[in-house]
Amino acid sequence: MAKDRKNVFSGWENLDTDILVMIFKYFSLDELTSGVAHVCRGWRVACCDPILWNTLDLSHMRTKFLKVSCMPCWYLVGHSDKDVTRILKLSMSLSKRNTKTLIFHYDLFPNDDMITYTTRRCPNLRRLVLPSWDRLEERGICDAISFCKKLESLTMPSMPNPHFVFSAIRENCKKFRELKVMGPIDLFFVQNLVCLLPKLKVLSLRCTSIRIDALTKILDKMKRLEVLNVSHSYIEVSDTEVTEVPWSTVIEKAFKLKQFVACKDPKTCVKCQWTDKDEGVMRWNMYDEGLWKEDEISSLHL
Amino acid sequence: MSKSEKKIVLKSLDNEAFEVEKAVALQSQTIWVMCEDKCVGNEIPLENVTGQILAKVIDYCKKHAVVDGDGDESSEELKNWDTEFTKNMDQSTLFNMILAANYLNIKSLLNLTCQAVADKTKTIDEFHTFLNIENNFTPEEEAQICQENLWAFDD
Repeated sequence: MAKDRKNVFSGWENLDTDILVMIFKYFSLDELTSGVAHVCRGWRVACCDPILWNTLDLSHMRTKFLKVSCMPCWYLVGHSDKDVTRILKLSMSLSKRNTKTLIFHYDLFPNDDMITYTTRRCPNLRRLVLPSWDRLEERGICDAISFCKKLESLTMPSMPNPHFVFSAIRENCKKFRELKVMGPIDLFFVQNLVCLLPKLKVLSLRCTSIRIDALTKILDKMKRLEVLNVSHSYIEVSDTEVTEVPWSTVIEKAFKLKQFVACKDPKTCVKCQWTDKDEGVMRWNMYDEGLWKEDEISSLHL
Repeated sequence: MSKSEKKIVLKSLDNEAFEVEKAVALQSQTIWVMCEDKCVGNEIPLENVTGQILAKVIDYCKKHAVVDGDGDESSEELKNWDTEFTKNMDQSTLFNMILAANYLNIKSLLNLTCQAVADKTKTIDEFHTFLNIENNFTPEEEAQICQENLWAFDD
């Protein structure tokens, strides 16, 4: 009987690699890394197919932590770091340096080790979506960028002094063209951008607050910018004497762009109201899961 | 086109003949190419598919030909039909369906059956016992793989 069964079912291990890859495409990352590659040689080969690793999407993983009011402000809970480490290690071992897009959730806070280990093994990375840098040090970020020589697109949080980030990109990523910043934009941030990444083609600053002087600077100084998205963001007027946003001037300046995207009806748009209520720092976990992945610019939409 | 030309006979590996509408059979790219090239007559021998499997493939193609043709069924219904279609298939049938879909080049059926296998087997034990696959790694390879499962970064 056992022998009969064997005869009936044999063949799975010799299945054509292309077909196996097709089956594996329906597996989630957790499933793909849980043991498929440990079944037999043929399956391991299929598991390493570049098609399966083109995009490494970790947006289902979160860092679980407990916020407290005194230093160090938060504690990691349970195994979440170990889980992330494990998935990253397995993925890197199977992806064979073929990953081109790497996506982290806004609630996944990688540390320096995680991010350098991963980027070191993704020399072909074109796009990095990394909205939360709270646990990353300058050293880690710079190292990571230096490993991604082919990086073209970055999604990052806003930060008080982005000089070292943009310097590292300028130095290492010659084809860099697309930036998305998730968080408030001020003049100093834009000055660094203008100065260090003048060749930027696409910039998305959606669902946040943008100072009018920063926006003006982008429109005046970023000569090679082609696409600017400020959807659902509100413009902050800094001068106390001016209370109205000079939209006509902004739009006039934006004419030279190939594409300028702003919300058509901010007064009734619910996303604009959320941005306003959250004062430019979106509490994404309050809204629909996946809302943070949206972008009006198709190349940035996840 | 005369009536007889609209029908086509598919002959399985074990010499079972199935007469089907041409529109049904042409969902298979392989058959489509054969017909285009006029390298076969009205009877097409399919050397890699048994009658038992071919009957199921034809069921699938009939269902999808009707729906694609006059759209009298919603895509929701079709989806349910697809789910039912693969739900009770055993591993060996699924396996042979995948091979048939691949040989006949019916992309939607290949996708459907691949997804069905993926849905049915998710753990390493299932792979080894249910699909009866032998672990053919050498001890060295096995040890290296075990390293992957360690948590910490080691460099």
